[in-house]
Amino acid sequence: MLVKRRGSARPDISAQALSGLASAAIDRRSFLARSGLAAAGLSTLGTLTLGAVQRAKAAGSSVSGPEVVIRKNICTHCSVGCTVTAEVVNGVWVGQEPSWESPLNRGTHCCKGASIREIVHGDRRLRYPMKLVGGQWQRISWNDAIDEIAAKTLAIREANGADSVYWLGSAKFTNEAAYLLRKFAAFWGTNSVDHQARICHSTTVAGVANTWGYGAQTNSYNDIRNAKTMIIMGGNPAEAHPVSLQHVLSGKELNKANLIVIDPRFTRTAAHATEYVRLRPGTDIPTIWGMLWHIFQNGWEDKQFIAERVYGMDAVRKEVEKWTPDEVERVTGIPGAQLKHVAELFATQRPSTLIWCMGATQHTVGTANVRAFCILCLATGNVGKPGTGANIFRGHTNVQGATDLGLDVTTLPLYYGLVEGAWKHWARVWDVEYDWLQARFDEVPAIAGRKARTRKENMETPGITSTRWFDAVNLPAEQIDQRTGLKAMMVFGHGGNTVTRIPQAVEGMKKLDLLVVADPHPTTFAALNARQDNTYLLPIATSLEMEGSRTASNRSLQWGEKIVDPVFESKDDYQVMYLLAEKYGFAEGLFKHIKVDNKSPQADDILREINRGGWSTGYCGQSPERLKAHMRNQSKFDLVTLRAPKDTPEVGGDYYGLPWPCWGKPEIRHPGTHILYNTNLHVKDGGSTFRARFGVERGGETLLAENSFSLGSELTDGYPEITFGIMKKLGWDADLTQDERDTITRIGGDNPDTVSWAIDLSGGIQRVCLDHGIMFYGNGKARANAWNLPDPVPVHREPIYTPRADLVGKYPTRPDERQFRIPNIGFSVQKSAIDRNIARDFPIVLTSGRIVEFEGGGEETRSNRWLAELQQDMFIEVNVQDAAERGIKDGQVVWVYGAENGARIKVKALVTERVGRGVAWMPFHFSGWYQGEDMRGFYPKGADPIVLGESANTVTSYGFDPVTGMQEPKATLCQIRTS
Amino acid sequence: MARMKFLCDADRCIECNACVTACKNEHDVPWGINRRRVVTINDGKPGERSVSMACMHCTDPPCAAVCPVNCFYQTADAVVLHSKEICIGCGYCFYACPFGAPQFPKLSNFGSRGKMDKCTYCAGGPDVDLSLKEYERYGSNRLAEGKLPLCAEMCSTKALLAGDSDMVADIYKQRVMVRGYGSGAWGWRTAYRETVTI
Amino acid sequence: MKCFRLLALLLFFVGAPAFAQQPASGPNPTAQSATEDQLFKQERTIGGRITIPDERAQVLIQPQGRYWRQFHEVYLPWIAGASILLMLIVLVLFYMIAGPTRAAASTGRRIIRFGFVERFTHWMVATSFIILGLTGLNYFFGKRLIMPWLGASAFGAFSEWAKYAHNFFAWPFTLGVLAMVVLWSRDNMPRRLDWAWLKAGGGLTGRTHVHAGRFNAGQKIMFWGVVLGGLAMFLSGLMLLLPLVFVGVNAMQVTNIAHGTIGALFITAILAHIYIGTIGMEGAFDAMGDGSVDLAWARQHHDLWADEVAGSATREEPPPPAEGVRQRL
Repeated sequence: MLVKRRGSARPDISAQALSGLASAAIDRRSFLARSGLAAAGLSTLGTLTLGAVQRAKAAGSSVSGPEVVIRKNICTHCSVGCTVTAEVVNGVWVGQEPSWESPLNRGTHCCKGASIREIVHGDRRLRYPMKLVGGQWQRISWNDAIDEIAAKTLAIREANGADSVYWLGSAKFTNEAAYLLRKFAAFWGTNSVDHQARICHSTTVAGVANTWGYGAQTNSYNDIRNAKTMIIMGGNPAEAHPVSLQHVLSGKELNKANLIVIDPRFTRTAAHATEYVRLRPGTDIPTIWGMLWHIFQNGWEDKQFIAERVYGMDAVRKEVEKWTPDEVERVTGIPGAQLKHVAELFATQRPSTLIWCMGATQHTVGTANVRAFCILCLATGNVGKPGTGANIFRGHTNVQGATDLGLDVTTLPLYYGLVEGAWKHWARVWDVEYDWLQARFDEVPAIAGRKARTRKENMETPGITSTRWFDAVNLPAEQIDQRTGLKAMMVFGHGGNTVTRIPQAVEGMKKLDLLVVADPHPTTFAALNARQDNTYLLPIATSLEMEGSRTASNRSLQWGEKIVDPVFESKDDYQVMYLLAEKYGFAEGLFKHIKVDNKSPQADDILREINRGGWSTGYCGQSPERLKAHMRNQSKFDLVTLRAPKDTPEVGGDYYGLPWPCWGKPEIRHPGTHILYNTNLHVKDGGSTFRARFGVERGGETLLAENSFSLGSELTDGYPEITFGIMKKLGWDADLTQDERDTITRIGGDNPDTVSWAIDLSGGIQRVCLDHGIMFYGNGKARANAWNLPDPVPVHREPIYTPRADLVGKYPTRPDERQFRIPNIGFSVQKSAIDRNIARDFPIVLTSGRIVEFEGGGEETRSNRWLAELQQDMFIEVNVQDAAERGIKDGQVVWVYGAENGARIKVKALVTERVGRGVAWMPFHFSGWYQGEDMRGFYPKGADPIVLGESANTVTSYGFDPVTGMQEPKATLCQIRTS
Repeated sequence: MARMKFLCDADRCIECNACVTACKNEHDVPWGINRRRVVTINDGKPGERSVSMACMHCTDPPCAAVCPVNCFYQTADAVVLHSKEICIGCGYCFYACPFGAPQFPKLSNFGSRGKMDKCTYCAGGPDVDLSLKEYERYGSNRLAEGKLPLCAEMCSTKALLAGDSDMVADIYKQRVMVRGYGSGAWGWRTAYRETVTI
Repeated sequence: MKCFRLLALLLFFVGAPAFAQQPASGPNPTAQSATEDQLFKQERTIGGRITIPDERAQVLIQPQGRYWRQFHEVYLPWIAGASILLMLIVLVLFYMIAGPTRAAASTGRRIIRFGFVERFTHWMVATSFIILGLTGLNYFFGKRLIMPWLGASAFGAFSEWAKYAHNFFAWPFTLGVLAMVVLWSRDNMPRRLDWAWLKAGGGLTGRTHVHAGRFNAGQKIMFWGVVLGGLAMFLSGLMLLLPLVFVGVNAMQVTNIAHGTIGALFITAILAHIYIGTIGMEGAFDAMGDGSVDLAWARQHHDLWADEVAGSATREEPPPPAEGVRQRL
């Protein structure tokens, strides 16, 4: 599997560099050799004043090197938001230095960040546009590529409608690119626009937002330093977010905090825990309910908090009563005494925080899991204060931002949804006619007895999720609720192998009329050998070669500078979208208020447009100027509070990165919100309440907070969302300026009273409310009972493929339903699996996760020689006893058989006690082998990653969360045999 | 005079391998040469600890003692360096080294074992400080630039400490005192015949 | 500055509030943390798992190198130095006291003792051996004896070539030794009369003439010594040449000890062989020189072989009395 790297041979690109191509990359050594770069420039960067260290001799020497420019961008490999400090000489990235000033990473990196230079200058990048002709890759020009792609998509649109083209975006996009693609899809006329959040934290966003208003980490990595008890459940941040462990372990040490890891696998994180709890995959809800059972039983809950700020806890109590210690142990396998101890720590040694990742979210009950987690936080009063909260660690640089900016089939940018008001709001921001947008959408005829949709209805109907794009290709037409199934996939920065059921995806790929992959690497799509023609690869700049902002997991926005120009023939996402829009004839409309330089849309201008429309989520205050000032002043921000002292020039009083919501126009200098729902701060200092998003009353019970309000609020009880009409009643409309009032009137038309804080483009309502200490989105209660969800109070449901057939009768998955335009037949699949006694043939629970060296689909990181060397083989972790029973030795090659599709993969066995008996674990970053076959030859020459391996998802199986379409890669069944 | 040391706080180390790739990236170390590595002890069991290891720059370096061509020397900061001009690639230093620090290109190719390569504490080699020749043979010389080894500077959890011996030991001591546990200064007894006593 | 940052971090520690930890009911990985001391009590080396596919990288700490270092830097130079010097002293003294073994009066008739192939083999092995010996000694004496006057740089270059030479000449040496086995092992099979020869001290101490075939017992011991020693050097050398391919570091250390010690003793023994083959015995060198020996010399030292080659019929007089031999000594 392993390919040896060239020794001293240089990449042939250096010849290009010599020939004077400005954008060409060369390796540092050959560069240094030519440039005569020496000490003087580099030594000026040193700041160490350690007396012991010999001073730079060369500092005073006569050697004069070229000037070293320092550029800062953000590491693309997880959501911590580590600043990358690049040394650039003559347009070549020659070195990395620690980013000491960043309060998030404080100079540090993990192996991916420490070697990120190679992501740009590595020689395995896709170099020029390519096209598949009769199964062979051919180089083509950008012009030809764009012409052909545009012509083909337009023809497909003509024949099958706008919904037949799928726009898959990326969590590695900048905020501006994410926003632009969402806008682009709207202009194209479809809601089938998605990105990786679908398969990582879509359930978190849905679950959390439905609980207290916003779908994001409530606190921050830094704030974890304040916690006295931390539970990390379904997450392995030591490998997935290594730099976050700096804060976690510091907190653990300084506060002598409890660090409890609940996971099926004894992870690198668990090794540093004070308590490790092993549960059976897919039993998160029973575990949480088991803890709450003890909490309620012993009166450890925070009664005042529940009374003031939580709705519907009684419904939870009723469900929790069923989860006696015996039943919990029977279902989860966790010893009763241990769980009681953990419950007591979490409830009584506060502040406590609950940290989770994809172990919780990637389930058919993902949203319900998240809801249960939130409820545990609410019941113990662990929300809205330092050291508490739902600290959700997200997966990519900008998966939070891309989610916020609407790369999502259910909403326009910033969670406005797809309702008419949302479309009208964005039509105003974009300065396009609402009717024109509507006309872009398909009319959907009645299919198989299901009702037809008008253009307007279709425009307000969620698209197809990225987890199931191939189902929307493969399923018979009468099963798919749109004009036709999918005919074309436009994939921007998405690996493909992170989605379950790869054999089905291969079938789907075969049937597509057009596949376009726009990525720095060919990705799994190129290596699966499913296609002969009508397939294009477009070389895209990495995020490090792009200007723009990124939103870290803690909602901080950081501005990344373009470190170097895109290498080879790469173009950035903005350019590609511009070129396509030009062909589609809507470039002018799309970029009406966005500056375009030489066909290159300018990121800061896109951000300004986001600011103009981002009122709902507080993306309105983070102007590019403010963000750039933050990057200049990183060292001014406090490590724990993330706040700069009030008297600091440029950024005084701000929280680092203006974590959203950052309300009002940039001019009013809202500092951003470090900790969501913190009523102990004034709203102008980042304080806030639970969002009153779900009405004011239900079943006679108030949904507004009682006796709880943010510091300095002029309203001292719960209150609903603020509209112009309510402003008038409060008499605060007088505080509005004439301009603001005019804008509101213009928006409201006949009925300006209904103009709310979220669609007031003047920002006046927000400004005035802030002055009155009011959180204009209302002061509501968090919902323990979310009546609009399939399971308003989470209930345990066994995974579709479970080893515990005995539990399925009592805890079945949800009935079959239609979701996101296609059927979800989870119940039938589960029933069939039970009927066939599938657990007999596939007795091992298979779960998956990350390893520290690679990320996501892994194409980028497996092409990085520094990282590839560290993980050269795909492997499966097998428990010692399971291995012994099968005669499997450590390091041996084995076949792993999946429960569906007759799929099998050939991987190395890692025999270990990390996984418990009957459980196996695989990393999901590999691709390039398919069911025992090496696919290296199918990559375009020279663009194959160094390390290839079988994809874990070749053997994963059916199962989708009803709320978000989340897949189920964390609990399925498999069999392992020696090969 | 200062005495430079590494100390890996295993209660902080999470095997993220940042030290490994930072080193590779900084010095352009080829595939197969691992100046620094992270080993996990008791893998998968409670008690598991990972330790990042490279040349410890011993007080009485065994590599230097057994070298048949005396190519090793210690700098004023007690960093153990060697001259690739003199080194003959015999491999004796690898037999003597308790930490597996010396690395050899093409280790198993008959007769063509190259010059030994190892962690330089980011202090270059005997060539002129910050010269191109020095960079090509030994990698960058951060000490001469007034910086510390990049592996330690970039350590994700600040587990790997580098700097003057007393300072590093003090940091570790204070950590252990505050948190109440510590698995020890790995390798110190072997490298320096002393340990950090708390 | 960076250290100060670390210190700054510590300032937080100092002010940290004391917070009693509750006794844990489940496994507490922090409390169970492995320590170096504890691991060294269980094992001589500390190792674990590493992701790179390199077994030697799995070892974290192995202090055994310190014993090897002691051997290599203290014992081995002493063993080698002392044995070689002692042998030289013995040989010099022997030469001075006893002088060379004089050849019997020439008969004028020469018989072939070693054919071309045999001589070629011998000299191939001999040349290789000398180079191997000298370059081998350079590994521990070079820096002590040559480096001071050659300078580090030149000595480094020299030693590198010496290393290549050592690696290269190992092959002709080994091939030669194997050829010797083919050529001479039959004639070197121990026979009853060897015992008599040995009892008689090879004629040096005995009163009677000692009979010997093509090779006397002393030569046979030398032969088998060369074969076994040569093979031992080859095998240990091969392991050193392909380090860590067959065994781990600790076994490499043992291998190196074996290679060094056997080599030193080998050199010592060969010194004696060189002595007898050159200035120690008149006429002996010719046997390996042009390959022929005088019949008288042959009868003097290898009477049974001489008979075999020259035939009893050609014997013109009875073998010379043993006394004569002794007198000449």
